Amino acid sequence: MRTVKRIRRLRSVRNTILFYVALAAVVIVMLFPFYWGFVTSLKTEVDIYDFTGNFLVPKRPNLGNYATLFAEPRYFRWFWNTFYVSTVTTIISVFISVMAGFAIARLRFRGAALAGTLIFVTYLAPKGFLFVPLAQILKDWGLLGKLSSLMITYPTNLIPFCAWLLSGYFANLPYEPEECAMVDGASRIGAIVRITLPMAVPGIITAAIFSFTASWNELLYSIVFVSGDQNKMLTNGVIGAFAGGDWFSWGPLMAASTLSSLPIALLFLLFTDRFVSGITAGSTKG
Amino acid sequence: MASTNRTQPRSFGGMISRLLHKDSSLGYILLSPAFIFLAVMMAYPFFYAVWLSFTDKQIGAEANFIGLLNYTKLLGTNLFSKTVTNSLVYTTFALIFKFVGGLGLALMLNRPFIGQRVVRALLLLPWIMPTVFSTMIWSWLFHPTFSILNDILVVKLGLLAEPIPFLRDETWAMASLIFVNVWRGVPFFGITFLAAIQSVSPEIIEASKIDGASRWASFWRITFPMILPVVLIVMLISTISTIGDFDLPFLLTHGGPNNSTTLFALTAYMLSLQSGQIGLGAAVTLTMFPALIVLVVISLISVRRQEAQD
Repeated sequence: MRTVKRIRRLRSVRNTILFYVALAAVVIVMLFPFYWGFVTSLKTEVDIYDFTGNFLVPKRPNLGNYATLFAEPRYFRWFWNTFYVSTVTTIISVFISVMAGFAIARLRFRGAALAGTLIFVTYLAPKGFLFVPLAQILKDWGLLGKLSSLMITYPTNLIPFCAWLLSGYFANLPYEPEECAMVDGASRIGAIVRITLPMAVPGIITAAIFSFTASWNELLYSIVFVSGDQNKMLTNGVIGAFAGGDWFSWGPLMAASTLSSLPIALLFLLFTDRFVSGITAGSTKG
Repeated sequence: MASTNRTQPRSFGGMISRLLHKDSSLGYILLSPAFIFLAVMMAYPFFYAVWLSFTDKQIGAEANFIGLLNYTKLLGTNLFSKTVTNSLVYTTFALIFKFVGGLGLALMLNRPFIGQRVVRALLLLPWIMPTVFSTMIWSWLFHPTFSILNDILVVKLGLLAEPIPFLRDETWAMASLIFVNVWRGVPFFGITFLAAIQSVSPEIIEASKIDGASRWASFWRITFPMILPVVLIVMLISTISTIGDFDLPFLLTHGGPNNSTTLFALTAYMLSLQSGQIGLGAAVTLTMFPALIVLVVISLISVRRQEAQD
């Protein structure tokens, strides 16, 4: 009896150790690229290609690659463009999606279900599907090449996702507080804005950080729709400057990759739970 | 409600406030910005693309109607048939590995352990961090001569005799592309599967264990069928975005070597923007349409079914 218990305990200790080893392996595989990119950004031009000795830490750590980046005035311009376009896009997308999501989830009118279906279908359309005609349309409108072309095309892919996410959120909020406010004399819009919207703030934050992250990360539209160095975003700007064709400038490229990802990493650090709820809501709604 | 409405003065302001009060009118008012936007930026471009694909439109030239010539021309090209097979291979393998990896990750994270919250957040980073920049890091990891991965495998661990030609060999290039797609997508699958597993009531699983089912059997017989609707929806959404992927092939391989890694969006980009054949490029994107429609319809049915269950 005793030996059986001991064997069981040993087995569970062994299983626990195996579990932590497997977990560590997974974490290392998933995170090593970020570490390697960051370490490379701290190396000198020569050390970048030197993997001898302790290759996991830079031999002569320095900020030379970041200095190269900061000496490039265009980089700040692209950073600002990305921030500006992402902010405007987020405001437009969230504003329109709050209205649409609310209507689909809480109002009874003919076609509400159909509207929900249409939103879902547009959510599924991949970005690579419509960029050819969109470029022609933007050209017809005289917007091709300008930053505003991105501000009006980015919401196309964001509104369906945000409206879908928010309709799931609104559907789960109680109806009574809004009805009470109306009995007390508030108008319908007043009751919605002052009573229901504040309850939906977590969902609205989720929609906003997803819109912002997606805009920050966008590549295809920024390559196709904007032109000229002063109108570039971080994505196409950095690639064009440091990864042009056959010539890659790895040190500055890794510095730019680290620095350009930083705002999103910060956002994730602040709103981890919102990101997680957005990811799961994307597939399950609500 | 109707009586209070009637006591309001029949002024313009009264009419507005009535419109904003009733569900029927308020619904259309709130939906109209979204639908105007989507009609102008999605429905209109779609029909514009259909029209372009029937023309010989080139950059800076007039468009002439040429019927189905673009499509018949495409079917004869090596580039297009490679695009189709590449997309099939890329999507199939990426989805299989994301499914298996995601399920493994979810089961791993479902077990309590020290630092669970931190680990869960860290494992999400490949999905959260901007793809463009993480892919630039991958192209450095896959460098033809200074790949740290090859250095670890060949020099440091001595596991391989020859370095892997990650992006230079046709088969390896596709494998590398799939690997990065899976690396980025597994956290998304894992976290969604985990949320679904945790929403299954623990009593049901406990009951099956009391009945003598092993942990393995109770997962496949009880838990998995219950999370299947979520699994299906995640797989479908991911299939659609994987077929339409542009970023990874553009950044890692530019479709090469020898067009072995080009996908629909990249082929359309090369034809329409690099060689100026806009009509032909539009036709390439539209060839995705039949597959997309089938996937969208299946997604709709499975979402409906899940909503009916809830």
